[in-house]
Amino acid sequence: MSDTALASAPLAQPAKVPAIRRKRFNAYRAIQAASMLIIALVIVSPLFLLAVASLKDDRFQILADMGTFRAFWVSNPTLANFAEVAHFSGELAFGRYLLNSLIILFATVVGGLVVNSMAGFVLAWGSLRGRAVILALVIALYVIPQESIIMPLVIMVSRAGITDGFAVQIVPWIASPLYTFLFYQFFAQLPKDLFEAAEMDGASVFRVYRSIFLPLSLPALATVSILMGIEAWNQYLWPILVTQTDYARPISVAIATFFGQDSIFWDRAMAASVLMMLPILAFYLAFQRWFVSSFVGSAIKG
Amino acid sequence: MSMSSAGAAATAAQRPAPRKGARRDRIRLFQEMGMLAPAVILMTVFLIAPFILSFWTAMTNQPLVPRPTPVRFVGLANFIRIFNDPLFWTALWNVTRFTIWIIPVQCGLAFLTALLLHQKIPFRNLFRGLFFLPAITSMVVVCVIWATLFQYPTGPFNQILGFLSFGMIQPIDWLGDPNWAMFSIVLLSAWQAYGFQMIIYLAGLQGISEELYDAARIDGANALQRFWNVTMPGLRPTHVFVLVITTIQAFKLYTQVAILTQGGPKNSTETVVHYMVRIGYEEQKLGYASAVSVILFLIVLVIALLQRFLLRRYDV
Repeated sequence: MSDTALASAPLAQPAKVPAIRRKRFNAYRAIQAASMLIIALVIVSPLFLLAVASLKDDRFQILADMGTFRAFWVSNPTLANFAEVAHFSGELAFGRYLLNSLIILFATVVGGLVVNSMAGFVLAWGSLRGRAVILALVIALYVIPQESIIMPLVIMVSRAGITDGFAVQIVPWIASPLYTFLFYQFFAQLPKDLFEAAEMDGASVFRVYRSIFLPLSLPALATVSILMGIEAWNQYLWPILVTQTDYARPISVAIATFFGQDSIFWDRAMAASVLMMLPILAFYLAFQRWFVSSFVGSAIKG
Repeated sequence: MSMSSAGAAATAAQRPAPRKGARRDRIRLFQEMGMLAPAVILMTVFLIAPFILSFWTAMTNQPLVPRPTPVRFVGLANFIRIFNDPLFWTALWNVTRFTIWIIPVQCGLAFLTALLLHQKIPFRNLFRGLFFLPAITSMVVVCVIWATLFQYPTGPFNQILGFLSFGMIQPIDWLGDPNWAMFSIVLLSAWQAYGFQMIIYLAGLQGISEELYDAARIDGANALQRFWNVTMPGLRPTHVFVLVITTIQAFKLYTQVAILTQGGPKNSTETVVHYMVRIGYEEQKLGYASAVSVILFLIVLVIALLQRFLLRRYDV
């Protein structure tokens, strides 16, 4: 990770300090730097350890190395573990599970963007009578945690005869009070003239939304994509309740199941974990600034 | 929040359209309903319906798989059973313990790091980027990593402890010792979620006007006084938000416990959600489990209302 890739983040740039002052030793500065490095070590070393261990081929060696400094070093790195777990069928079909997770993520995010942005737009600029009531309801629904509706949802799904598959993992989480509200909030702060001018030209509501407001809402689309994507990627409780076979099993459940076995194949568990981490990490490195602002943006009210 | 003003403006602008555009108005209304419908339908089916259903199921003896005998209405019997189950109280006490431990470890560390990062230090964007990495790491992956760190008796943590204490400290069975298991869960949870809280604190710090610091400086306030009288009051909404979100997450604690300890050893890491899933899914008593989910909802609601109350003077 290069420093330049991160330099575009929106925090203030460090001011230029005159060269003479910089040279003076400053105890406060030293403590500051030392604590930053210690925190960085604590935060990063577990991830580093995972990456290193996934490149070691011998599972007994991984365990033996764990308690020593060799845990942070691999003398002859190999991708054998990845080749072992990245199958698309059989016992170690983590390639398939990864693909399943990507499908679920992609479908949830695309569906969520369309459904929630349309609703947010109508709530902000529509002329429907009950808009204020719906908006209040959406805000109130935000309080309900997923965990407290999951048991009745299991009853509903099993009564409907759905026991497995992709749809049951995607459809329930597409519409969301939080994301509808985020879109609403974003659209409502755009200037009124935008809407009026387009309407004057005879554009329909959907046209105004599709051709004028949506192209302007890249920040909202990015925020919701990132938050929904991470949420979909990390789903764990719901998929263990509704997936029975490995047909649509996401990688989170697959790793946890693999991990729950009596004697753990650490080399494979590590490689599978790295597989699960890679897509999100790639997105994070590419869009780091958006990630941070998205999470700040999700922190509105309770 | 500017929701009502913007909304009202939009309606007012639309209103003065006399009978000439009546047909257009109707088309517009249909379009709006069409755009709202998917969200309304999905939220009704997958959020409102199960929510209402949970109150009903909670008062029945609903099983997971349909039985020949009809589902019976049992009133508040499920709730009475829960309140008489010592395991439920253990679970409640465990998440409370978890909250009490994680607030200083996670929120405290996040706050300190944010204070450090808010100053002009070299590579601070790089540091911020690194500190946020665990927050985007899946809990399942976090569990795999930390399970190796916690290895007994020769895992990294035990080796470091032994090294630092010259062998005085005996290896700790982090996840297998009832006295340590919940604390170990706290450590890995704090490591994972800390980056998120750090950026919330950073945003809070950036929201405090530089002029307030300048004014305090002119009045002769030293660094500590500026911290207590400018920074801390300015961060009050952030503190409340972070504490509330941490508490709510603690009550929803599930994944780490399900993967690493399954509520054990000796129920020392049993949590409310894990208790609910165990009863509903493994014991197949969905009525009973729904009652737990109703209780969970009420707890979260009380915490959220408490936040509203504490922040009533702020416009959030």
